[in-house]
Amino acid sequence: MALIKKLLQSYKVIKVGDWFVILLFCALIIFSIKSLWNLPKGEYLEIYKKNEILATYSLNQKITKKINGIKGVTEIMIDNGRVRFSESPCPKKYCIHQGWINKANQMIVCIPNQISISIIGPKRGYDAINY
Amino acid sequence: MRLNSLIVYILISLLMGCGENKIHHSKDFIFGTLIDIKVYGESKINAEKVSNEIFNEFHRLHKLLHPWEKSLITDINIAISQKKSIPINNDEVITILRSAQHLEKQTQNLFNPSIGKLINLWGFHSNDYVQKTIPNQEIIEKLVSSNPSMESIKIENKVLKSNNKNVQIDLGGYAKGYALDQAKKILTRNDVKNALINIGGNILAFGKRGERDWLVGIQNPRKPNALATISLKSGWAIGTSGDYQRYIMVNNQRYSHLINPKTGYPESKTQSATILMPPSEDSGTLSDVFSKPLFISSKKNKADMAKLLNIKYFLIVMDDHSIFISEDLNKEINWEDGIDKKIITIL
Repeated sequence: MALIKKLLQSYKVIKVGDWFVILLFCALIIFSIKSLWNLPKGEYLEIYKKNEILATYSLNQKITKKINGIKGVTEIMIDNGRVRFSESPCPKKYCIHQGWINKANQMIVCIPNQISISIIGPKRGYDAINY
Repeated sequence: MRLNSLIVYILISLLMGCGENKIHHSKDFIFGTLIDIKVYGESKINAEKVSNEIFNEFHRLHKLLHPWEKSLITDINIAISQKKSIPINNDEVITILRSAQHLEKQTQNLFNPSIGKLINLWGFHSNDYVQKTIPNQEIIEKLVSSNPSMESIKIENKVLKSNNKNVQIDLGGYAKGYALDQAKKILTRNDVKNALINIGGNILAFGKRGERDWLVGIQNPRKPNALATISLKSGWAIGTSGDYQRYIMVNNQRYSHLINPKTGYPESKTQSATILMPPSEDSGTLSDVFSKPLFISSKKNKADMAKLLNIKYFLIVMDDHSIFISEDLNKEINWEDGIDKKIITIL
């Protein structure tokens, strides 16, 4: 009982202005989490399906992701700092033959399945690649 | 103190967010390749509107000029193969065909958009290139000796006729460049000042990316990285012909879609040829078209071909990974780390 009484007292100490500050910070924290959630430090991976970003992943993990393209399922393997196409429904498998990429600005495109992956990094890179 | 650093941190992340929003980035798959459009410094609505207009224009051209799915071009090809004349009620296509005729002559027939039959024979008139054999030598020789050329095409009073039934128009080495020039018109019409248009490696720079010029990477033909980077000033276009995007493998040998019209076989000693064209109304078209003769001509003729076509900025990667670069381009290029300077020859 004494504890509850104490808590109620401390509640009274928090004035309107304090509430304002607390609410402001809650809003800022939510906003920061929302905007920074998918941006791990350093390099990260962007997966595009046709013209939309499907997902953003940290490269610092070991994980395989399945993605539905227009032809079928593409499998993308992330392995602690590097990434590759590991399965693809396309006939020529150019995307798989590209192998691993691990540097910012590197990109692999699977044209038949319309999936592309690129590594985004903090280093200033080029704006397009002339392939 | 902790509070202050938190506020500073949040402000910085907000500002970073704003910086990124200056670029509107969109992608689509057209012309059998990836299209990438970046618009700088426009409102989201404006950037989206102009990007969509450009994508729509590319879809229109794709349908109009498609070399093997039903299009005006395939209609023309059917008529030619039957030795019939065909009316063309499309001034744009007439202008394109006339320009292609002119460019074929200018490149001493190394850019030849009338060899659709050869391209088809090698299996490149499909989306998959799964052909596992090389074509019969006799058929190739017969086609080459029949001398298909845009010159055989006569257009009078909007009626087209060719006296060579082996002529099949394939604007694969022209359409993407032409599309860049069309994109340029759309950007100008919409009063968009800064954008970068990338059609599967044919790139046009428009304006700048903020304080600096647009920066473009030149692909290493055998690795998924850039060989080098170059600043592309406003109005300049860059085009690459490479053996690594469309090719078939037969008995461990690579046969690319870049077929020498004079032999009927793919050029095999070159991995890629990249050229930069200065601002002009047709810089996009020229960057696409002129990379072909530079790729196809023999090693000893490449420099002469560049001179003939007035290409001052070029970079060629040969099959032994050696690199030829023009003096002008060498002054402005930034090699990526790990490139052995010994393999580079300045022409």
